[in-house]
Amino acid sequence: MIAAEILASILLPWISALVIYVLNNHRVSVFLTVLNFVILTIIGLHLWFSVNNPITLHPPHLVDWLLLVYDYGLLLYFFKQGIENRNPLVSVLAVIQIFLLSWVVLIRPHSEVPNIYIDKLTVFMYLIVGFVGSLITLFATRYMQDENPVREGEFVAILVWFLGVMNFIVSVNNIEWFFALFETTTLASYLLIRFRGDTVSVNNALLALWMNQIGGITILLALLFAIHKYGITHFSQFGEHTQLALFPLAFLSAAALVKGAQMPFHRWLLGAMVAPTPVSAILHSATMVKVAPYLILRLSPFIKGTLLAKLIVVFTGFVFVVTALLALNETHFKRILAYSTISLLSLMMLAGTIGTPITITVALMLIAFHAVAKALLFLEAGVLEKRYHAKTIYDLKHIINKAPLTVFFILVGFLSMTMVPFAMFVAKWLMISEMSELLSKASYIITVAILAIGGAILTVLYLKILGLTINRDEESFRVKIEKLPSLYTIPNVIYVVLILIATLFINTFLVYFFAPITQSIIGYIPPFCEGLSVCIKNLQLPFWQIIIAFFFVVFFPIIAHYIHFKTDRTAEYSCGEPVKPRISTYNMVCLNKVSTYFESISLALFVLVLVIGGGML
Amino acid sequence: MFGFFKKFRKKSPWILHYNTGSCNGCDIEIMACLGPKYDLERFGIINKGNPKQADILLVTGPVTKRARARLLRLYMQMPEPKVVVAVGACACTGGVFRHMYNVENGIDRFIPVDVYIPGCAARPENIIEGIKKAIEIWERKQKEKVEVPKVLKEIPDVETLDRREIISKLEEKYSERLVIEEDEK
Amino acid sequence: MKGILFTFALLSPIIGGLIYGLERKFKARMQNRQGPPILQPFYDFFKLTDKRALQVHSFHSLMGIAFFVAAWFAVFALLIGPNILIAIFLHVLALLFFTAGGFSVKSPYSVMGALRELAHILAAEPILVFAAIALYLSTGSWNIEGILTSNTVPILQMPLLFCALVLTVPILLKRSPFDISEAHQEIIGGAEIEYSGLFYEAVYTAKWLEYIFIGVIVFLFGGSNYLLGALLVAATFLFVWLLDNATTRLTIHYMMKFAWGILLPLAAFNIFWVAIWR
Repeated sequence: MIAAEILASILLPWISALVIYVLNNHRVSVFLTVLNFVILTIIGLHLWFSVNNPITLHPPHLVDWLLLVYDYGLLLYFFKQGIENRNPLVSVLAVIQIFLLSWVVLIRPHSEVPNIYIDKLTVFMYLIVGFVGSLITLFATRYMQDENPVREGEFVAILVWFLGVMNFIVSVNNIEWFFALFETTTLASYLLIRFRGDTVSVNNALLALWMNQIGGITILLALLFAIHKYGITHFSQFGEHTQLALFPLAFLSAAALVKGAQMPFHRWLLGAMVAPTPVSAILHSATMVKVAPYLILRLSPFIKGTLLAKLIVVFTGFVFVVTALLALNETHFKRILAYSTISLLSLMMLAGTIGTPITITVALMLIAFHAVAKALLFLEAGVLEKRYHAKTIYDLKHIINKAPLTVFFILVGFLSMTMVPFAMFVAKWLMISEMSELLSKASYIITVAILAIGGAILTVLYLKILGLTINRDEESFRVKIEKLPSLYTIPNVIYVVLILIATLFINTFLVYFFAPITQSIIGYIPPFCEGLSVCIKNLQLPFWQIIIAFFFVVFFPIIAHYIHFKTDRTAEYSCGEPVKPRISTYNMVCLNKVSTYFESISLALFVLVLVIGGGML
Repeated sequence: MFGFFKKFRKKSPWILHYNTGSCNGCDIEIMACLGPKYDLERFGIINKGNPKQADILLVTGPVTKRARARLLRLYMQMPEPKVVVAVGACACTGGVFRHMYNVENGIDRFIPVDVYIPGCAARPENIIEGIKKAIEIWERKQKEKVEVPKVLKEIPDVETLDRREIISKLEEKYSERLVIEEDEK
Repeated sequence: MKGILFTFALLSPIIGGLIYGLERKFKARMQNRQGPPILQPFYDFFKLTDKRALQVHSFHSLMGIAFFVAAWFAVFALLIGPNILIAIFLHVLALLFFTAGGFSVKSPYSVMGALRELAHILAAEPILVFAAIALYLSTGSWNIEGILTSNTVPILQMPLLFCALVLTVPILLKRSPFDISEAHQEIIGGAEIEYSGLFYEAVYTAKWLEYIFIGVIVFLFGGSNYLLGALLVAATFLFVWLLDNATTRLTIHYMMKFAWGILLPLAAFNIFWVAIWR
């Protein structure tokens, strides 16, 4: 039964993608994406309750050979793309990959270790992909109606297929398979980014391609070394060796850092925004970049406390602060979101690398709620683009006069990433507290500073954008709530409701949802207590504070829309001048000077992670 | 209830100072009043610089044609109860600038003035005495009664006023023709 | 203990008003003026109640009220809540409403003030978080009661951080040289400019609560020695008032450089040193 469910959650998106592609019909796409949403979520929930111990599956050997053939085909396709688009780098990297892959195939031992390994972390990723990702594909069906109805089938098919690939990659145990699927996600993102087909899209797609190929190469190097020294071919075998060299772990982590678009490799994620907006939504929230924290969490028990972990903490901490700072200088709405994704991804990886029960829980919370919040924000970015032609934050000025509901959604999305009492705030708060706890034991001392500074920067960043949207001069009750196509609104409403419910019942989620996953990753449960108040050891966030803060953040904006004070109205003060002011915002242009230094430092740190973390010195 | 609050008016008058085209003599004297020597703050007086939070409007100088619309606008932006003090000979009558081509003489052609302070420039002692008088008048005023500029003939009789309409009506009539770029989208 | 703290939180607007009155008196005496009576803020308060309220739009006015309510709630969370870190973030939430109010009107001064307020948050919030972490590090408790009953005196371990905190107080209270977001002669109060009457009253009172908020955090550095705590608070406020009288406004760039270049390293160095030294 469980095996069938796992098979279904992997294969259903592949099959429905094929059907959508072949039929290319709007109704069929909508039906199938809704079906995906329902079935994947139900399967995820059911698996959640049934998978208590890790489940292993042995697919037939045929799959192994099929994947190998597919892999060669894929790499040849990359090679061909490099030739066709006159990008020698892509071709060279593809050749290197083919060479390394062949080497792996030659020396790999015969292994009877199961190739599919399902634990709670996997099911957790299924739930995110199924719940958050499917809704994005549903949104995409309507979005393509506005953009290019002819190619709707193709576009939605790739998105849905992406979900299937993602479900597959989090289930595999075999590192070689992991590599194949890693490159498949690269392929999917490549196809999506170049979807519009203009020069900029193609260039950015090639950028994403070669950067992610570097990640593939590091996986292959790690695998080669692991096979050569220890005969390890599967993730689950890492636990069997006590004296493990850090080299393979460092190179696998490097693949995660590349996939997570960390600083020297951040440009591919920024470039991805030239594609239609659902692409950004799906890359940032449910798929692609989430492979990075997933991989780090998989490796976390093995790298915890090593020099490699400390280097990754320094590196991700640096990227966390720096990308948040660089986002302050951006004006393009989607670029700002991209920078904040990179920033939060590094926070997730930082938390995952430290590897205490609480930080692992924090990483999981960040993965889950960041996925929801970013999906919400990117879908809103899509709505803004298509309905209000707003791309930069300056276009967002006074948009509350046209679209109060959209502004409310953006508000929830932004505040949920930073403000009391939302779930991601609880995660950051737990993180700061846990780091202070570690600080009093004099370990990871620098992270406290990183968290305090980075958190403040992100808060200011979000408030800056919100400020532009709510600028207005008319009473709000006169503004009609905008009517949007229901396929635009429904996914967003579901996300918002999920965010709000998770905020109110955060402790229930912590105890019954996140704590078991933490247990399945590192073996023991963080001591959360029952009830509605968050409490763990000497930390407490009482329910009355959650509920009052919730009232402030959520209900005040809603009340503000309907309330009308019966007093005199007057114009804004402008020294008596009748000039209509032009409102804008500031950018930290001074950061332009230092951004290249930031990149150089992060490149140096990345090399340090590889060289010193990998034990090559 | 409101009788209780009324008692505290005299303890906290906040000032808005506007120069409608003065030679700066009176302005310096007003600044002297607020400075350490005369120390108006001991009466709770602050120079707020913001009509929306001010109670007493101190106007210096004759009303030039460029300033009259601004004066009306500032006056309308002050919440009731409010008092107006004309500081110096120019603000009272136009002073030495009376009947010049660019001057509309005293401010009482445009807005109702409660206290006139003579002098060129008005002495700080006079100003303090005038403000004291103004506070006495202010204490008798009601917040329900809307005070509008003199130049506005009909007084609107509604419970809640949209002052922007009045201001724009006045500005249409009294502002100098300026070319203003409408760069708001 | 809990009862005293609760009463204090309940009375905090009144106490904050008294501190503000004292501030005006002290500053006037420093300038050799007589100055207003100590109860002057309350006179202003009562007078504002009796003014006709004007508003730009209801959203803006509501944000002013929300600022007051949220600021009071932050003080409550600091004084009776179980976690001072949460209180600090609730304080940011209160400032969110203030800035939202400032942003929501098409007034250049208001928007500029709100933008500068964001810079204030950026400069001051990390140091407040550091202060909470420092208190935890030296007393082992996130709880105000735990800190007040612990045996240690945090300021003895955290002198540099305390200096940084004292220099952050002008940033939080918007006093010279860091009265950038208020800047009365320049942008006429910044984000509070468009409020009037009852709505301004809410903002005016919320600003008194900031004294309580920062005062309590300073007080906690005395640990269980309440006399020392009270002395620290008095010394801090007197220093800030003196600084306010003696300095002129700096630019926003200077404030960011000062906060991030001097105060943050100072605070971080102190915390790290204590952590390593143990």
